[in-house]
Amino acid sequence: MKHRVPALVVMHADLATALLRAAARVYGVVEGVEVLSNEGLSREGLEREIARKVEGWTDGGLVLTDFWGGSCHVCGVAAARGHGDVIVVTGLNLPTLIDYLHNRDELPPRALAERLLQKGKDSIRLHDGQLA
Amino acid sequence: MSWVLERVDDRLVHGQVVLAWGARLHPRRIWVVDDAASPWERDLLKGAAPGIEVKVVTVDEVAAGYAAERDAKGGAFLLLRDLQTALRVVEAGATIRALNLGGLHYAPGKTKVNEYIYLDAADRALARRLRERGVSLEVQDVPSSRPQPLAALDPETATP
Repeated sequence: MKHRVPALVVMHADLATALLRAAARVYGVVEGVEVLSNEGLSREGLEREIARKVEGWTDGGLVLTDFWGGSCHVCGVAAARGHGDVIVVTGLNLPTLIDYLHNRDELPPRALAERLLQKGKDSIRLHDGQLA
Repeated sequence: MSWVLERVDDRLVHGQVVLAWGARLHPRRIWVVDDAASPWERDLLKGAAPGIEVKVVTVDEVAAGYAAERDAKGGAFLLLRDLQTALRVVEAGATIRALNLGGLHYAPGKTKVNEYIYLDAADRALARRLRERGVSLEVQDVPSSRPQPLAALDPETATP
């Protein structure tokens, strides 16, 4: 097995925990993914918590956040700075998280992040004929 | 038009500002007051609100540009990380009349006012000094929540 790319899911309120619980219904038991809520944390506090969780990722990893411009994204980028191949991906949804789980043992962090970016875009679709 | 939201928020540019207040008030510019921001932090903040010009400025720079911004076309947000910065901006000459308190999160020594506002004795003294200078302080995190005067939630911010 190749090196497993670690992930930290950082989101508003209870979304990260709920997303992981939903992923387990589709994927099966999920291990090795950490979650963090921004609830009640200042900018400095959230950045510090993220930094504490990624500091052991010597071979890189992914910080998966809910949306661009939110505190989870901004603090994730600040905390990841100087940590090599720690990459922040925004806009995480359930298909993207499941794709991460299927591929985290196969791809290095950067290639996995690029894959998730495309997966996220592809996962938002309109079913043919539903719009007039 | 110009200043449509003048807010004290220790998260500065974040979801409530961009997605909630931004969608309601459609600012063209966001002024973030941060004397200590590094060039790297400035770039991060400038890219955090797509479609909106984010200006990271010092206290002196915002005080100098405050009046001109009030007369500029399009709305603008002013973001201040704490009450100390707010008072410094007022003392430097910005004629702020009302501040929205949107997020001052817990830190050791601070006590809870509500879910997103925590203050210590120094903060309360700063709030009183702002009131003395004619600045009203209103607590409201997102547009859909009810604004409340800080003094009603925490009387010590009005009278020691």
